[in-house]
Amino acid sequence: MPITRRQFTAGSGLALAGLSARSAFGADDPIEAEDLLASQIVDTSRFKRPGPYTVGVSAGYLATSWIVYERQYIQWAADQHKADVRQLIITDAGFNPQKQVSDIEDLMRQKIDLLIYWPVDEKTLTGTLTRVIERGVPTVNVFGGFSASPGTVANAYISQLRLSELVASELMKSIGGKGRIVAVLPIPGSQEAADQLTGLKRVLKDNPGVELLNISYGSYDRAKSKQIMENLLQRYPKIDGVFSPSGHMNLGIVEAIEDAGRLGQIKMSPGDELNGWLKWVARNKTAGAVTFTPSIGKVGLELGLRILKGEPVPRGERVPSEYITPEKAVAIADASAPDDAWAGPLPREFRPR
Amino acid sequence: MTSIDREGGRLLVTRLATPLVLAAMYGIAAAVSDAFLDPSYVLNLFRQVAPVGIAAIGVTYVMILGEVDLSVGAVISASVVVCASVMDGDATRIPLAIGATCLLGLSIGAVNGVLVAYGRVSSFILTLGIALAVTGLTQVYSGGTSHGIVAPGFREFLNARLWGVVPILGLCLVAFVAVGVTYQRTSAFGRRLYLIGSNRTAAQLSGLPVARTIIWAYMLSGLLGSFAGMAMIVRSGASGTLTGQGLEFQVLAAVVLGGTTFEGGRGGVGGTIAGCFILLIAFNLVILAGLSSYPQLIVMGAIIISASAIQSRFAGPPR
Amino acid sequence: MTQASLKSVLPTAGIWAVLAVGTLCAAVAIPAFRDVENISNIARQSAVLGILAIGQTFVIVAGMVDLSVGMAAGLVVVLTCALGGGDPAAAAPLAGAMLAGGIALGLWNGYLIQRLRVHSVIFTFGMLSILQGVILTYSDISIGTPPPQLSDVANGSVLGIPAAALVLALAALAGHAVLVRTRFGHHLMAAGGSALSAERSGVNVRRVRTLAFALSGASAGVAGLLLAGRLGTGYPLAGATLELDAVVAVVLGGTSLAGGRGSIPNSVAGVLLLTLISNVLNLLGISSFVQIFIKGATVVLAMLANQIGQDR
Repeated sequence: MPITRRQFTAGSGLALAGLSARSAFGADDPIEAEDLLASQIVDTSRFKRPGPYTVGVSAGYLATSWIVYERQYIQWAADQHKADVRQLIITDAGFNPQKQVSDIEDLMRQKIDLLIYWPVDEKTLTGTLTRVIERGVPTVNVFGGFSASPGTVANAYISQLRLSELVASELMKSIGGKGRIVAVLPIPGSQEAADQLTGLKRVLKDNPGVELLNISYGSYDRAKSKQIMENLLQRYPKIDGVFSPSGHMNLGIVEAIEDAGRLGQIKMSPGDELNGWLKWVARNKTAGAVTFTPSIGKVGLELGLRILKGEPVPRGERVPSEYITPEKAVAIADASAPDDAWAGPLPREFRPR
Repeated sequence: MTSIDREGGRLLVTRLATPLVLAAMYGIAAAVSDAFLDPSYVLNLFRQVAPVGIAAIGVTYVMILGEVDLSVGAVISASVVVCASVMDGDATRIPLAIGATCLLGLSIGAVNGVLVAYGRVSSFILTLGIALAVTGLTQVYSGGTSHGIVAPGFREFLNARLWGVVPILGLCLVAFVAVGVTYQRTSAFGRRLYLIGSNRTAAQLSGLPVARTIIWAYMLSGLLGSFAGMAMIVRSGASGTLTGQGLEFQVLAAVVLGGTTFEGGRGGVGGTIAGCFILLIAFNLVILAGLSSYPQLIVMGAIIISASAIQSRFAGPPR
Repeated sequence: MTQASLKSVLPTAGIWAVLAVGTLCAAVAIPAFRDVENISNIARQSAVLGILAIGQTFVIVAGMVDLSVGMAAGLVVVLTCALGGGDPAAAAPLAGAMLAGGIALGLWNGYLIQRLRVHSVIFTFGMLSILQGVILTYSDISIGTPPPQLSDVANGSVLGIPAAALVLALAALAGHAVLVRTRFGHHLMAAGGSALSAERSGVNVRRVRTLAFALSGASAGVAGLLLAGRLGTGYPLAGATLELDAVVAVVLGGTSLAGGRGSIPNSVAGVLLLTLISNVLNLLGISSFVQIFIKGATVVLAMLANQIGQDR
C-alpha cells in the first residue's frame, strides 16, 4: 500500500529534524547525534502486508570477503525464516552507482516486498530509494554505517564512529598516549574512511602527545597497503603506531614492518575479525581486533521482516562492536580456515561456496 | 654515413632512450629522498616490482607482434586463487600447485592466441572480453572469497633475504628477466616476433608460421601471468579474489614506456623492465615526497605522459 | 541512402541483428521484460554510455582511442553538482560551461598527442589518472546537487518516452550526420584509414584528429551532465570504467580499432546490447559472478561474429 503524501512529508520532516539535531549537537558529539536518530521509532503500519515475501537485495558490490559473508548471513536468515521468505533475489552493481540504480529498478520490476541494500555511494541512491518507499516497499540499509537518508526506512548498523574511537583508544593505550602514528584508511571518498578519520581525530584531541604523521588510503588492497607501508617506513624513521581498523590491509602492513625489522617499535591498532588477521594476532600476541561483524546482514533481514509485519522498529538497530584481546584471538582464530574467512556464528553449511 | 649506419645509429638511440629516462628518474628520486641511496630499500624495489615485471615480460612478446594482452590482470587474480586453493596449506603440494597454475596460464594464453591468430579480431577488445570471462569464472569458482591456504614456508622462503640483504624474490625477477631477454634475442621465435610485428603481410608471404608464433606468444604471456600471480602470493598472501585487477594497465604503460609500441616490430624485454621501474619509482617517490594520496594520481599521470614524450623524442615517434 | 552508403552499412549491420534477436528472445522468454517501463528503463540506462560511445566513435575512426572520457565525465558530474547546488538558474550556464570545458579538454588531448608524438592510449591513460587526481583533490566524498532540470531530463519522460533516450537519439542523429555527410567526416575517415594518403590528398590530418578529440570531449561534457542528473549528487568516482565500456561498445558495433571507418548508429546499438544483456541477466536472477563471465563471453563472441560478417 503506497504511503500517502502527508505521511511521506512527515517522515521526511522527521528525517530533516533529525539531521538538524545532528548539526545542533555539532561535530562535538556525532555519536550522540547518531544514537538519537537511530532510536527514533518508525511507524511501519503503512508497509504491513501479508507474507510470504519476495526479498530483493541490491549489493553495491560483492568484491570483498566481508560483503560475501554478509550475503551468506542474509541467506542463512532467509533459510531460518523459510515460511516468510518466498524468494531472495540478489543483484550486484559491481561498484557502479548507475548500475545500482538500474538494479533497483529491475528488482522493483520483479515485485519485491522488501529491499535490503548496501550502496556503492549512499547519496547517489537517495532519489531511487525514496521512489521505492513511495511505492510501499521498505528499504533496509546493511552497509555497516547508519544512514539518516529519507530513502532508508531502517538500518542494521555498526557504529563506525564508536568502532574507530575504540580502535584509536586501544592504539593510544598501547603506545602510552604519546608518539607518532600513521593512519591507513580504506577507500578514499567513502563514508567509512570519513567516519574512521572522524573517530581517530576525536581520540587524538584527547591525546595531545600523539602526532598524526600521515594519512594514506589502502583501498582494502593488501599489496598496496604493504607498498604504502614500505614507503612510510622509509619516509619516517620513527613511527610508534599504525591506525588501521582493517584486518585485510593490516596483513600487508605488518609484513612491511616485519621485513624492515621494526615490529618491536611499532604498535598496530586492532584490526577486524578477519581470520587471517586473527591468526597473526594469535601468533604475535599483540594488537587484537574490534569486530565489524557481517552478521548485520541477518539482523537486517529480520528487521525487514518485522517491518513487513507492521511492528514498530527503531530507525537503527545497532550491533555492537566488541574488542577481542590477543588472548581471545588465540581461541577464535581458525588455523584450518583460509585467511579470507570471518569469525562469527555463521554455520558451516552457509559458509561461502 | 650510409643509410645502414644511420639506421644503426637510430637503433642505438632507441635502445638507450628508456634506460636514460630511468637513470634520470632515479637521479631525481635520489635527490628528493635519500631512501633511494639505501641499498636495502633499492633492493626491495626489485621485490615490489616482481609481479608486474614478470607479467610484463610476456606482454612484451605479444606487443612486439603488434597485438596486445589485456587479460593479464585477470590471469593474475585467477592464479592467486587457484594456486592457494590447490596448495591447501600442505607444503608437499607446492609442486602440484605450481604446475596447476602454470597450466591455467598456458590454457588462457592458448585461447587468446587461437582467437587472435585465426579470428583476426582486435586483440585489445578480445583480451578485454577474455579478462572479463576469466574474472567471472574466478569469482564463480571461489564464491567471492579466497579459499586457498598458502603452504607454510612458501612465502617465508621466497620473502627472505640472502645474507640479510639480497631478496630472493628479487633474484627470481632478475632470473625471469634474464631468461626473457635471452629468449627474445637468441631464439628463432624472438626473431620471428620482430619480423611479424614489422610487417605481417610480408612475413606471411615469406612463409613464416605466423599463427603458431602468435599462439605461442600469448601462451607465454599467460604462463608468465601465472608466475606473476605466484609472485603476488609471495608479496601479499592469498586473500582476495581480485588481486590482479587493474594491473594490466600498469603493465601496458610499462611496456610502452619501455619502447615497445602498439604497432609492433620494436622494443624488447629490457626496455619493458626499465619501464616497470620508472613507474614504480614514480609511485614510491610521490609517497616519499610527502604528497597526499590524491595529488599523487596527478603526478603519476604527468610522469607517464612526460616519460613517454621524452622517449618518443629520443627514439622517434610511434609512426 | 545511396547504393554506396548502403553497402558500407550492411556488412556491419550484424549488431542490429543481434540486438533484434536478443530483444525478441527476451520478450518471449521473460514476462517482466515486456513491461513498457522496463523497455523505457533500458533506453534511459543507455543514454550516458551511448553519448560517450558517439564521441569515442570519432576518435576510433581516426585510428586512436580516448581513455580520458570516463574521468572527464566524472569531473563534469562533480563540478555540476558542487557548483549547481540544486539551483534551477544555474542549469543553462553550467551546461554551457561543461560543454565548453569538454571541448577544451578534447582540444588539449588532440593537440598534445600529436605535438608530443605520444600514443593516444598512453596519453589519454595519463590524463585519466590526472583527472582522477583532480576530482579527488577537489572532493573525495559526494557533494552537491545538480540543477533540477538535469534530474528531470535524466529520469523523466516526455510523452511516455524517456527524455534521456531522446537526448541520446538527438546526439546520435547529429553525430551520424557529421560523420557521414560533412567534409570533416570524410576527411576523418580518410585520415584514419591512411594518414599518408589523406595528407597527400590535401586533408589536414592534424586538424581533423584534434577535432575528433574535441568531439569526444564534448560528448564527455554532455554525458557528464546527464550522469549528474541520474545520480543526483556529485559522486567522485562516477566516471570510473566508463571509457572502457564506451570503447567496447563501439567495437561491438563493428567499428574497427584500426580506424578508417565507423558508424555512429552501430556504436549506439553496441551500447543498447550491453544494457540489454545486463537487464536480462538481472531479470533472470543470474548470479552477478556469472553475469561477469557472460559479459566477457558476449564480447568475445560478438567480436568473432562481427569478423565473420565482415569477411563475407
